[in-house]
Amino acid sequence: MKEFMMIFLGADYEELGLSPEELQMRMGKWFAWGDKMKAQGILRGGNALHAKGKRISGPDRVESDGPFVESKELIGGYYTIAVDSFKDAAVVAQDFPDFDLGGTVEIREIIQFDRE
Amino acid sequence: MTENKQEPVIDHLFRHQYGKMVAILSKIFGPSHLELIEDAIQDTFIQASLKWRTEIPDNPEAWLTQAAKNRTIDLFRQISAQKERKNKMIHGSATLKINDFFLDHEVADSQLRMIFLACHPAFKKEEQIVFALKCISGFSLREIAAALLQKEETIKKRIARTRKKIKEKELHLDYPSPTEIHHRLSGVLQIIYLIFNEGFHSTKEHALVDRDLCGEALRLCRHLLQKKSLRSGSVYALFALLCFHASRLEAKTAGKKVIDLRHQDRTQWYQPLINLGHEAFEKAFQFPDQSMYHLEAAIAREHIMAESFEKTNWSNILTLYEEMYTLMPTTSVLLSLVAVHVQMHQLDAAEDILQKVDAEKLEKRKYLYHASYFEVYQKQKRHKEALHEIEFAIALCPNQMEKDHLRRKRDQVVESS
Repeated sequence: MKEFMMIFLGADYEELGLSPEELQMRMGKWFAWGDKMKAQGILRGGNALHAKGKRISGPDRVESDGPFVESKELIGGYYTIAVDSFKDAAVVAQDFPDFDLGGTVEIREIIQFDRE
Repeated sequence: MTENKQEPVIDHLFRHQYGKMVAILSKIFGPSHLELIEDAIQDTFIQASLKWRTEIPDNPEAWLTQAAKNRTIDLFRQISAQKERKNKMIHGSATLKINDFFLDHEVADSQLRMIFLACHPAFKKEEQIVFALKCISGFSLREIAAALLQKEETIKKRIARTRKKIKEKELHLDYPSPTEIHHRLSGVLQIIYLIFNEGFHSTKEHALVDRDLCGEALRLCRHLLQKKSLRSGSVYALFALLCFHASRLEAKTAGKKVIDLRHQDRTQWYQPLINLGHEAFEKAFQFPDQSMYHLEAAIAREHIMAESFEKTNWSNILTLYEEMYTLMPTTSVLLSLVAVHVQMHQLDAAEDILQKVDAEKLEKRKYLYHASYFEVYQKQKRHKEALHEIEFAIALCPNQMEKDHLRRKRDQVVESS
């Protein structure tokens, strides 16, 4: 069994000006998706992220305040799941609720360090 | 009860809470801060929609109310920081406990005040509708644009104009004075009626939005009825009318096609709404005022009570339309009269009325004039003239679905002749 991270990019609800009704509908879809993954026993973790952030970079540890990228590139959250392959992870990602808002799911395999 | 946590949040909770919260905060801070208030509340919902992805709180409504209270405190700080320290409104209400504003009867009161603000005579009709849908019903600009078949930019401008007027004219969340209230109330009823019609008579594909418009109109009307001093024959009559119509919504929009009264499955009409309609209809006549809504409700009621389209009591309906015409002599009512005469096979009477109709006055709905002639000629078996009229109607009809409907009628005639 491998672990994968599904990283969600774009579809910033704030910028899209979704109505309360739409927000509720979206929330319901996310909830259902999470539920489905839980029921399959594949969900390992996940979080949603605020758009605001801080970056510290370089030898001088320069601090800057974000967001740092355009909203369609912005990471809005992630889930980690345990499945056998990229192919299986891609199947799980089909249920991501925000494709219609121009959202993107990036799937990355989590490196498993030797546990022995 | 932990298993019940998985229960979905009740339908439209966010939308309805939005309207409540905007009303409460507008009462506390004044509607001149509306933009700030709406942004703050919008943000509350975005936060909720993110947090509730993984776990829905036990009592979503209470969660949202608490969030709104917290926002109120934030806004107090924000607004008093904005050189508004001297504003006596804020000082006045600061002494009140915020909690008091969230009591049920206070919330209902705030919402009624918002309805009256929405229908303030300083706004144009089209601004009133947009304002009501945005601030009371929690529709987004895009949803309003879709519902009213307008550009989003147009809706945005209208909202901006209402906000500007609120500031310039220093409009507050007051009830109109007793001398003014009946006049203002009739404006409110008109807006509710218009919102409903936008939903009910629409033929666009977004059936869902349409249904929501009808639902909102019903909700607003029920709000009015909850306040004793606002109850009148007209309000009850309007409510009855909306109930009778709304009970047919499902049957009317089954599938993608609009199904006309004749072909609707009457067993699908929604009985609880019909019952509400009958109750309200009865009450409408216990007040001294009479209105067009009384007549419209009475007509809708005749249709609802008919066992089938064929068994409709057309002569009652004819009398009601004739009464309506004496009160409101418009070409639309004339066309309705024509349609009823056609149903009663009184074709000469129908033709006589049609000759009186000034088709130009119908503007965009001129196709209805030709469609009416078509119906008359067809029943008279004057097929050639009938076809001529329906071609006219099809060419003039601005609405695709309606156009298709007319085409089907034409094709039936062509096949049968």
